[in-house]
Amino acid sequence: MSQQILILSQSHLEGTTDHVCQWMNHLQIPYLRVNGEDLFQMQHLGDLPSNSQTGVVWYRRKISSFPAKYSLKQDDFATQYTLKRFLIDEFNGLHAFLFYTIDRQKWMNDPISEDNLNKLHVLALARQHGLNTPFTEVVTTKAVIIRLLERCPELIVKPVSECILVEDAAGGQYKMLTKTISKANLQQVPEKFFPSLVQEKIIKKFEIRTFYLDGTCHSMAIFSQDNRNTKEDFRNYDNKRPNRTVPYKLPDDLELKLGQLMKALGFRTGSIDLMVDLQGNYHFLEINPEGQFGMVSYPCNYYLEKKVAQLLNKSILHEKEIY
Amino acid sequence: MEYFNLYANCQLVKGANMSLLCDLQMRRFYHLPNDTAEVITFLQQHAIEECLAHYGEDNRETITGYIDFLISRELGFKDHQLLPGLTPLDLSWDRYSRITNVIIEYNEAVNYNDTFFQQLFDLHVQGLEIRFYHTIAPDKIRGLLAGFNGTTLRFIKLVLPYNETLDLRTLDKLVKQYPRVKSLLIHSSPIDKQEKIFDESVPVVFFSREINSCMACGEIRTNYFTSNMELFTESQHYNTCLNRKLSIDTNGYIRNCPSMREHFGHVTTTALQEVLNNDAFHRYGKIRKDEIAVCRDCEFRHVCTDCRAYVEDPQDIYSKPLKCGYNPYTNTWDEWTENPLKQSAIAWYGLEDIVK
Repeated sequence: MSQQILILSQSHLEGTTDHVCQWMNHLQIPYLRVNGEDLFQMQHLGDLPSNSQTGVVWYRRKISSFPAKYSLKQDDFATQYTLKRFLIDEFNGLHAFLFYTIDRQKWMNDPISEDNLNKLHVLALARQHGLNTPFTEVVTTKAVIIRLLERCPELIVKPVSECILVEDAAGGQYKMLTKTISKANLQQVPEKFFPSLVQEKIIKKFEIRTFYLDGTCHSMAIFSQDNRNTKEDFRNYDNKRPNRTVPYKLPDDLELKLGQLMKALGFRTGSIDLMVDLQGNYHFLEINPEGQFGMVSYPCNYYLEKKVAQLLNKSILHEKEIY
Repeated sequence: MEYFNLYANCQLVKGANMSLLCDLQMRRFYHLPNDTAEVITFLQQHAIEECLAHYGEDNRETITGYIDFLISRELGFKDHQLLPGLTPLDLSWDRYSRITNVIIEYNEAVNYNDTFFQQLFDLHVQGLEIRFYHTIAPDKIRGLLAGFNGTTLRFIKLVLPYNETLDLRTLDKLVKQYPRVKSLLIHSSPIDKQEKIFDESVPVVFFSREINSCMACGEIRTNYFTSNMELFTESQHYNTCLNRKLSIDTNGYIRNCPSMREHFGHVTTTALQEVLNNDAFHRYGKIRKDEIAVCRDCEFRHVCTDCRAYVEDPQDIYSKPLKCGYNPYTNTWDEWTENPLKQSAIAWYGLEDIVK
């Protein structure tokens, strides 16, 4: 049986996968795309993509949403939530089976490392690889915050895990974003609180988003400093005065270290966030192994979707040579 | 020392007398004298102080004025160095489809669901323009649009004759039902006006002149200029009017554009692959603005649409678009129809009725 490229994604709201697939069609590269939604059609485990069929796996997404709604006969908010969590765990259990049935080295990114990526671990690993990272702590009391504010004039607080979107009863949505703590708003901080990640606030000249692809860094500088709305987090888009996004080349030694860090994590692709301070120093912030790269590809004219398609093709040809 | 860093997606295009600074991200452009462009180019290698010294004390105010202007438009910023990481923009161009744009001149007698059209839209065509020269019932438009529902088309533009039954409410309903329709041009309208429908997202342009054939096409006007990454990069390598474009004229003939003289077969008898494999079909797509007479000296060349169907010298495919009234040597716009040097070409193409 000939081995093929397997793309794991979702059926909706995944423009990046669609774009790469269109390049694959155009370049006449055969592939199999399996969306999480497709698993609701399977009859038995044998319908899952098999190891022998698969030469390389590009794992983008699990699923967008379950194709049907599942609810309890007796409506109850708390149990409804528990059920929702349970179904997600059930689905993930099935989906993650592929992580074990398909040989680990065939995955562009090690799927188990990717699914369990830990921000604190990545920062520690980055420091081990000689990367400069902002001072980071996890604290539980205002007293410690006060002490830290003597060391750095401003701190930011952000989740150890991922940002969430909160909805109110009226359907209003609230994005969780990075917030600043300084002496000016210290009174809002309670005496004791849930373990929280705080980081020294870097006064940035600009931000950098790097898409790492198999040894090459494709970087973009994001200038937002004179734009008050985006001072802390460029995801607070300002449509009237959008951030200026231009191609950027990181220093060679920094690229080398980033490459070593990615290798240590078992990743051949991923988005890396960095910041440049007013003195021009680089600070490594985090890695999003499944980060969107359309937002780097288009403004910098990098054709990353085409490069991903070509890399998948190269990987499958390489596999064929081995077997 | 202070330096001025120009953002890489702000590209200078030099013309005979004037230059164009194209902001490809914010989709704007700035028309500048070549002297200003020269200063901007100098600043990309030198410190601001060096620039002021180079051009002399007399020009100090002018040059600082230029820099203030560039900064106020957010085209660049000052820093203590020219940041080495800010690399030039890669101007290469490619697309994942062999045909990116299609024009159809509608004819009731043509079956737009047959094999040729299916194969065509399977190529992941991105944009489609459908031109209606004659009044058409809304049901027929809906029927036609429904045929594109399963395709990866992203953008449909409708060119329709004015008709009282096609009021804004009807059009609004239409574009809500077929959200791929992102632009409308209503010709033969009693008045010229611009409206927006579908929550202000779809422009509807009412145009008082009649568009009853492709002869009206090919005009070069400043409102058709576009400063963006797609057009600018494509223009460096290919013809922005014809590269990877395909048209089906009102009689079902396959052409580069409805206005081009030669055709490459008929939709009922020619296979799409045959057209795509025909070198002659791709010939015009390779003609760059930098190779066209006069255009190569024009500062607007990479924001311009070009036209290879109507040119000043019909015997020379590398001559300037006939329907362009801009002179890059004097930087003036004149009415092209009145230019005595263009009259023989106007007659050659049979455009006398159009220019009246």
